[in-house]
Amino acid sequence: MATWLVALTIGLPWIGAALVVTFGRRLKLAEALAVSSAVVAAIAGLALLPFASSAPVIRVPAGEIFGEFTFVPDGLGVFMAVVATVIGALCVIFSLDYMRGETQLSRYYGFVLLFIGAMAGLALTGSLLLLVLFWELVALCSYALIAFHADDPRAAAAGIKALIITQLGGVGLLVGVLVASTHLRSYDISTLLAGISSLDPATRGIVAFGFLAAAAAKSAQLPFHTWLPDAMEAPTPVSALIHAATMVNAGVYLIVRFVPAFGPVPGWTTAVMLIGLLSALAGAAMALSTTDLKRVLAYSTISQLGLMFYAAGAGGIFAAQFHLLSHSVFKALLFLAAGAVIHATGTREMREMGGLAKQMPVVAATFAIGTLALVGVPVFNGFWSKEMILETAGHGGGAAVLLIAAALTAMYALRTTWMVFYGAARAAPGQDASPAMRTALIPLAVGTTTTWLLAGPFSRLLAGTLPYHRLKIISTGQMITSVVPATALALPVVAVGLIIWWERGRLVPLTAHLRGIERAAAGGFGFEWINTGVIRLTESAAAAMSLVQSGLLARNLALVMAALLAALVVAAVVAR
Amino acid sequence: MSVPAFLVIALPMFAAPLAYLSGHIGRSQGMIRPTPGRARITALVVLLAMWVPFALAVQQVAHGPLTIAVGVISLRVDGLTLLLAAVALVLGTLAVLFAGPDLYGEDGEEKFYAAVLVLIGAIIGVGAAGDLFNLWLWFETMAVTSYVLVPFYRQRPAALEAAVKYLVQGAVGSLIVLVGIALVLFRTGTLDLAALRTAADHSGVLLAAGACFVVGFGVKAALVPLHTWLPDAHAEAPTAVSALLSGIVIQTGLAAMVRTLSALAPSVHTWGWVLAGTGALNMMAGNLLALRQVQVKRLLAFSSVSQMGYIALGAGIALVTGQALVFQGAFFHILTHALMKTLAFLAAGALLYVLHAETHGPLVVDDLSGAWQRYPLPAFALSVAVLGLAGLPPLAGFMSKWQIFAAGIEAGNTVIALLVVFAALNTTLSFAYYGRLAIAVYRRPPQFGGGRSLPVAMAVPLGALSLAVIAIGMWPQLVSWLTAPAGRALGGGL
Repeated sequence: MATWLVALTIGLPWIGAALVVTFGRRLKLAEALAVSSAVVAAIAGLALLPFASSAPVIRVPAGEIFGEFTFVPDGLGVFMAVVATVIGALCVIFSLDYMRGETQLSRYYGFVLLFIGAMAGLALTGSLLLLVLFWELVALCSYALIAFHADDPRAAAAGIKALIITQLGGVGLLVGVLVASTHLRSYDISTLLAGISSLDPATRGIVAFGFLAAAAAKSAQLPFHTWLPDAMEAPTPVSALIHAATMVNAGVYLIVRFVPAFGPVPGWTTAVMLIGLLSALAGAAMALSTTDLKRVLAYSTISQLGLMFYAAGAGGIFAAQFHLLSHSVFKALLFLAAGAVIHATGTREMREMGGLAKQMPVVAATFAIGTLALVGVPVFNGFWSKEMILETAGHGGGAAVLLIAAALTAMYALRTTWMVFYGAARAAPGQDASPAMRTALIPLAVGTTTTWLLAGPFSRLLAGTLPYHRLKIISTGQMITSVVPATALALPVVAVGLIIWWERGRLVPLTAHLRGIERAAAGGFGFEWINTGVIRLTESAAAAMSLVQSGLLARNLALVMAALLAALVVAAVVAR
Repeated sequence: MSVPAFLVIALPMFAAPLAYLSGHIGRSQGMIRPTPGRARITALVVLLAMWVPFALAVQQVAHGPLTIAVGVISLRVDGLTLLLAAVALVLGTLAVLFAGPDLYGEDGEEKFYAAVLVLIGAIIGVGAAGDLFNLWLWFETMAVTSYVLVPFYRQRPAALEAAVKYLVQGAVGSLIVLVGIALVLFRTGTLDLAALRTAADHSGVLLAAGACFVVGFGVKAALVPLHTWLPDAHAEAPTAVSALLSGIVIQTGLAAMVRTLSALAPSVHTWGWVLAGTGALNMMAGNLLALRQVQVKRLLAFSSVSQMGYIALGAGIALVTGQALVFQGAFFHILTHALMKTLAFLAAGALLYVLHAETHGPLVVDDLSGAWQRYPLPAFALSVAVLGLAGLPPLAGFMSKWQIFAAGIEAGNTVIALLVVFAALNTTLSFAYYGRLAIAVYRRPPQFGGGRSLPVAMAVPLGALSLAVIAIGMWPQLVSWLTAPAGRALGGGL
């Protein structure tokens, strides 16, 4: 049974993708195929939950070079697959109205479905080779969908940028997997988790930090984060699915999956925590300094993923995963609601919005729910999971940074909601969410208010099927009793954030001092400068290289002779 | 002597004059309508017929290498021969199929098909040569045929210039190979590759011979900095020829080099390192040069320079370690690259044909706009090909690059591991131009009329190759029956 469910969860979206591309000319049929395959895959994913186990259910031998292709429905994998397929299905439904009237929709739905299957595969595979394969496959889908509006040069550039930066980190995963599998003589993930201690420290370090680089790039953590804001050129349902709820979580997934193996590597957990803290702080600061609605959400994603990185590094595996669940739901909600706004107003610029709450009550209400969860207001799901992360941090310096980030989060979240939905109306009147949009928004809003109730079952799911992580089972009741006292510190901080934003007019003398920070944040803290530097360097290297390609026969022959001379010198040196 | 193996080499060579005559006679007899396309039918029939002896030869080789002896000429068919034969046959068949509409009625059409047959026979001959004399003879046959094929559009100055550069550089390379062969004969008294393995020593003379082989064959294999002829020749040739040159001819140059160097057993390590280092150079130079290209075929030509780098890296590591599995990785990439690059060239050629066939003008990236809407199959094929070349799953390039990288890490040498990291970083760099191409076909069409419909003879190769690239990417074991014996032909077990 579990075998079939795993195959369906991964395979159905792919079959759907092939069918959508085949029948692309008949739009209604293609849309129906896209929705039905995504929804059935989501049902298969949900049905897989009771069958979670740590034993592989699919094993396909692929020869001595490629090892065995295995799929393991353990708690972590099934959970990520459920997130991918369920939110994927909702985003496909949302797209029906959002993408109406666009051309080349078969390419759109084809890649979205390919992505859903690949993301489920990434989560469920037990083979390191397939891990790399799915890792790059989701990058391919991300690139293709960011650049979906191929006519827009910004979209094309953003797609290529996302591909290059995430794959630059992906080199770390590639090398790490190759080194690990060479030493362990196996591509099996559980072999790596069990046998990591047999590797010498240097090898272990290469593998651990290689994986970390890949995870940081995929999750848009510092210093790789610059691709994510640009990726907002993608159609908004894609931003919700890939760049908020699923693919960017793959980095956190990778860290959590391998934390038992890499935790003992000196400096590794510190590096994970540091990356997380810096990203949490910088992301929140950048979110406060932009006026593009989708970019605010993108920076916010960087910041929230930073929290998860921190928690995973600090040993709060369950907290990290629990926040991943909350964030997937509420950030997908925020993105889709933002998509509805953008669809209605035709702009992403928040300064051109305002007062939309009256015209779009459903969108405003759902966006507000998402905002409250993002800020961490009880009883929404973001409150519980963020508090658990703060609890993990204890009382050290890390906790202080997290609290500042939480305050900044409250500020930018309130600012965004205010600029879009309240205040003076500056936008042309828009329409409220259409039925297909509501079908996606309302379940996500309900999820945002309720998924925290699943803490107990979720904890049992993870603890029961992850033998290497040694997790403790906690019930929902235990979570509530442990979190509530801790809120004494966090909630006032959130309140301070809210008050600062509210009273910003009176705090002008103070904010003047912070202009420098704001300007640095608006400039992405200078990381974009590194990118342009690398690009410029590459371009000048290419220009220099074209000197070799002179097109003059005499020079070409001179090069042949020079090469012969060099080879003879090598021969002479070796002969001695 | 094995009859099927003999037929695999002899059929194309003997059929080539037939193809020429069948296309030519009708014309010279002053018929009202000349008979274009007839040489192509002959060539196609021969190429399809060759699959039968090929299949038989594959079965026979499983029991050990086959020998073909005609008089004093002795050839030896092993796994590597069959790999080159298979690639040449697939590419040749599809290129001839594709060239039908492309070259229909062009001046010299029948010569083209005759030359393609000779080229395919010569490639298989290079793979089958058991001694250096035969190797050089077949190699020169292949080279001369390709010099003739490049300037097919001989009224175009650029094509002629490209061919002259190719000819002169190629001839210099062949000369250097010949010097190397002379040195080998001088030192060991034998040219037989099997005998050479035991007769070779670590002397300065044989090291100098090795240097000659690396550089001489390196010209044909487009190793940097010997590659300078390639972008002109591959971009100016007719599409079908570009596909054959980029897909198999340069790789055959490398295969000849690897076979020769591995016979010089005592110094093989040195040349393995040189080849691996040159491979890194190839990747970087090819990528950097491709970044600035706006002409599609020229961009693909530079991509060949960079892809040769992966093959050379794999072959270099294989020479250093001497392991069959490592050779297999390099040969696997030869195979997947042949499929992907042919697909890319044929897709670009199909678009060139439907958009502006009359002018033969260069196809630039901006011409690709709207291709998806008007010509979905070539657009899809081109994006599959370039994304596969970029090494993205689930396409064939991912699996073959993986195998080379895995072999590099497996070698357990820090320098080789660093070369692998360098190769992986270069792959990332290559996304910049492959990604640009793949996006370009999905732009909205410009306002232009005209454009003819895509002929079936062009659609079939595009569809078949796209399927193959995806299928091998999903299931790499599909072709291990070809790559594994090829690897064992040169390397030992673990």
